[in-house]
Amino acid sequence: MSDHNDVHLEPTPGERFSKFLKRGDIRETLAWAAFYTAVFVVLGAYFYPKWMPTVMSTDMKAIERLMVVFTFISAPVCGFVMSIFTQTLRHRHKGDTPPPDGPMIRNNRLGVAVFSGVASLLTLTAVIYGLIELNSSAEAATKDAPNALVVEVTGNQWVWSFNYPSLGVESNMLNLPIDRPVIFRITSADVNHSFWPVQLGVKADANHLATTLAQTTPTKLGTIDVKCAELCGLYHAYMETSGEVMTVSDFNNWVTAQGGHSA
Amino acid sequence: MTTLSQQVSNRPIPNPKKSLITRLNMGTGLIVGIAFALATYYSMQTTLDDATLNFQRNNQVLLATMFMWSIGFLVGIGAFIGPFRWLIGKDLTAEEQLYLAGDGQGIKRYFKYCTDHKVVGIQYLWGVIAMLAVGGSMAMMIRTQLAQPGAKFITPSIYNSLVGLHGITMIVAMIIVATGPFGNFIMPIMIGAADMAFPRLNALSWWVLFTAIPVLCSAWFLGGIPTGWTAYAPLSVQAGPGMNAFIATIIIFAVSTAVAGANITATVISMRAKGMTWNRVPIFVIGATISVALAVPAFPTFMVAMIQTAMDRTFLTGFFDSNVGGSGWLYAHLFWIMGHPEVYVILLPGVAILMEIVPVFVRKPLFSYTAAVVGFAGIAGLSVLVWAHHMYMSGWLPMLNGPFMVTTEMISIPTGLIFLVILGTLWNGKPWLKVPMLGVYAFLWNMLIGGITGLYLSDVPADNYLHGSMYVTAHFHYTLMGAALTGAVAGLSYWYPKMTGRMLNERAGYISFWFVQIGFQILYLGMFIAGAEGQPRRVSDYAQMYANSNRISTFGAYLIGTGFIVLLWAVIHSWRNGVIAPMNPWGAKTLEWTVPYPVPLVNFDTPPVVTSDPYGYGKAVK
Amino acid sequence: MTNTKRAASAILSTLLGIAVVGAVGITLHTLSADALRGKLVATKSADTITVDGKNYPKASVTMGVYPDRATAVEHGSKPTKKDYVQYGPSNHVVLPAHTYVTMTLHVYDSGDKLNNPYFGKVVGTIGGTINIDGVDVSSVAPDAVQHTFTLHGLPTSSQDPLFVNVPLPHVEVNDKDEFIPTKDPGTNNKGHTVVFSFLTGGKGEYVFNCEYPCGDGTYANFGAAMGAYGYMSGKVTVA
Ligand SMILES: [Cu+2]
Ligand SMILES: [Cu+2]
Ligand SMILES: [Cu+2]
Repeated sequence: MSDHNDVHLEPTPGERFSKFLKRGDIRETLAWAAFYTAVFVVLGAYFYPKWMPTVMSTDMKAIERLMVVFTFISAPVCGFVMSIFTQTLRHRHKGDTPPPDGPMIRNNRLGVAVFSGVASLLTLTAVIYGLIELNSSAEAATKDAPNALVVEVTGNQWVWSFNYPSLGVESNMLNLPIDRPVIFRITSADVNHSFWPVQLGVKADANHLATTLAQTTPTKLGTIDVKCAELCGLYHAYMETSGEVMTVSDFNNWVTAQGGHSA
Repeated sequence: MTTLSQQVSNRPIPNPKKSLITRLNMGTGLIVGIAFALATYYSMQTTLDDATLNFQRNNQVLLATMFMWSIGFLVGIGAFIGPFRWLIGKDLTAEEQLYLAGDGQGIKRYFKYCTDHKVVGIQYLWGVIAMLAVGGSMAMMIRTQLAQPGAKFITPSIYNSLVGLHGITMIVAMIIVATGPFGNFIMPIMIGAADMAFPRLNALSWWVLFTAIPVLCSAWFLGGIPTGWTAYAPLSVQAGPGMNAFIATIIIFAVSTAVAGANITATVISMRAKGMTWNRVPIFVIGATISVALAVPAFPTFMVAMIQTAMDRTFLTGFFDSNVGGSGWLYAHLFWIMGHPEVYVILLPGVAILMEIVPVFVRKPLFSYTAAVVGFAGIAGLSVLVWAHHMYMSGWLPMLNGPFMVTTEMISIPTGLIFLVILGTLWNGKPWLKVPMLGVYAFLWNMLIGGITGLYLSDVPADNYLHGSMYVTAHFHYTLMGAALTGAVAGLSYWYPKMTGRMLNERAGYISFWFVQIGFQILYLGMFIAGAEGQPRRVSDYAQMYANSNRISTFGAYLIGTGFIVLLWAVIHSWRNGVIAPMNPWGAKTLEWTVPYPVPLVNFDTPPVVTSDPYGYGKAVK
Repeated sequence: MTNTKRAASAILSTLLGIAVVGAVGITLHTLSADALRGKLVATKSADTITVDGKNYPKASVTMGVYPDRATAVEHGSKPTKKDYVQYGPSNHVVLPAHTYVTMTLHVYDSGDKLNNPYFGKVVGTIGGTINIDGVDVSSVAPDAVQHTFTLHGLPTSSQDPLFVNVPLPHVEVNDKDEFIPTKDPGTNNKGHTVVFSFLTGGKGEYVFNCEYPCGDGTYANFGAAMGAYGYMSGKVTVA
């Protein structure tokens, strides 16, 4: 290493770092890492929104954003792992005899420290971001509660039923007016179920003799698929129904047709 | 010069005419077990009060029958001879102990209550292979049903049973897949011990587990189980007679893991070779020990949950029945307090095997042994604090979702260390891509995907969408199958020469590897998409919109199935016809490669003395 | 062993392995095929009927609910399930698409309370009513129900939604002998006859199950006959 040093001065950390960056293996690693990071970023940003269903509520919007952001946070980790993965495979040893001895590197405290530090920071970012989202949805829920439409959801083996107490309507369909907060009060007539109106980004278990609350605001007109996300026996797969996010006048017409009174 | 093992072999066996020990084997076990079961079944059928509800009565009879089968089998195979001798103030004679070790009994010892850890290891290996084969076949059935929408293949009840029994068969198999065969066969040699700390308990742990296998199979003939392997109450309290088989299996299995866990832990603590200080212990031993030590506190809670379920079903106690003040949440807690540590019980030994493999095949020391140990310990420590991340949506206590999210995401830090150790060992090395080494690369990719998708799932808002969907199924298959099973298969091809004296057929190994790994990516890519699109898990039928992703998944599953059949062929074929293996085919430095095949009864002629850790590969760097 | 022989052994063993798994699959498939005891195909008639200004062909189908095996030949064959209540003669009903289907159910069971009173309401039939022994009603008291016929399916873009809920009134006799049906459904007047009509949409696969807790002795009474496929559950194919 000390081929051209005539002055025996310890190099400054800055010099050591720039020298480190000039090493061939380090450059290769960084290049691959950058490449894979970019790949993961693009994949996450493109595919999750493509695969996930239509965003029809405030919560669903937050969820989709979260999926994308989390992909960004984890992309550098993927980049680093896949970089060494690719690089060592490119230098693989061929033949039927064991490879020659590699460098005897037993540890690298700085390396371990930097890696752990970066990993912890990324984790911390994910944790903080998640907590902020959690908190903001809780805040929105408190703010919206007073003028919300209450829907009592009952899971039965293997059919959902919905009761709109303020409207005097009972139905097997989950119809909702657009842009009005809705509070789901979820319970079960028998075993555990999990109420999942897919496009609304809401999920909550239905437990017998207990009420679980969930809240959101539908923001887009369209069909909602309501599913059960907790194995509940024989016809769990068929414990599905649908519903619609409607304009307020359509919703009122539906309520009247069901024999209820308009809100 | 006669070696110690030859001296041992020349010792007389106990008088074959008189000693009961020499007459007991699996056959007598089956006879006594079945006799106990039949006697219990018929005596209870005739004596039980007719007025008791049919449902309760059935459950009482079936559970009692299953437990009595297990006890009867153990009596019949001679598991209680030692304790019985102690009861009357004696112990086994030296000859009898040698006989129990299977000394000089050839293939017969595999069907006996044999205390030799190498025999127990092989018994576990075949037990695991059988379980994986059955569980894998069930997976093929599940994927066939899901190949197209419309539930055209099997009924929803058969489907639900397949889902539950595939789940529990695979979970049980995966818990023992590394610590069973390798923890028993290889690990004692690796630490320079003559046997396990408690050889008779070792035999007991295997044969107890063995009795659970027919019990679990009986679920099929009792109408199956509708609950999945999580067996959530109150669904499990409502379920038909097949549920009793599930309950009995878990209780029996929990006994087996407790015995095995205590034994392995004690062995590693007290039986290490002279000079093998804690920082010289091979990393597989560390991983396996932390894994079983984690299982020891985890499994009893599952056992308790199952006992309570059984009581709800037989005596209407109502632990989980909200009508009488019980709660399904209680079950969920007990289950997941076991359930989350359990995934690391499965994962750690698999990872540790790969950490054992990497240095050998890149000829470099294991990078940062300390980081590996801290990583394992950190994962194990945190894993007991995260269980309620499975209950974010349960409505139990939404206030605690935040804290559980924090602890869960913190696990990515020690997991990162595990990656770092493997990557650091690979760094600037020239990997020798033999079959075991391929597993390391498969692990890196699979665990990366499994880990990152786990990050989404650990986040409460994202889990609002993903919980209970196919996304979860794909995620945990990436960790349990893509990472842990890959590690175990790598371990099998790595240690196969030591366990059988022959090399595992290499070409078949490669073919199997590529079929399995490519099929795996296809299967679970399809499943991630289906989950992101909103398909719930454990459904016997689905809407048309998921047809494409499911078809892709089924295609991948068939590739995996084919790959594993090829592997099975290789294991059987090479066992008899493989190339004779040299003592140390990979040039590894751990102790198990210093003993010949067949491994002598007491492993080492002279107890080894250890002077360094086993990772001294490589040229010193300037 | 030569390379060719080894390769042949590997390929043959692999095919054998696939065949074994395939055989298990075929066995399960065969078992599944029996579970519903054949198909019950609705009888089409030449008549048509106008509903909301549109013309529909008519079809009819007759089924029954049998309280236990002793009373119905078509009942399940498993001895352990001999006291399971069951729909019959088959649990797989085939209905024509875009048709006015009239269903007649002969029901003979006693009953008690629904777990969820919602299923006492009639949903999804023509006029929102059912005809019980000649009287039109739009609901049955939730504590006087013996079973329900609840027809539903996956909501999917590729098939029309279909939801029908028909509560079946219980028979108010405690002595079972008095309302035991004969082999020929409908000849015993101690039971009830429930008639209702609904419109099918396009082709599709649906399921029906009962919402009355008749799985005796189990949690929420939804185990036993309720949890075993082909007793209080079945499927409806609109073809
Ligand atoms: Cu469900
Ligand atoms: Cu977990
Ligand atoms: Cu019923």
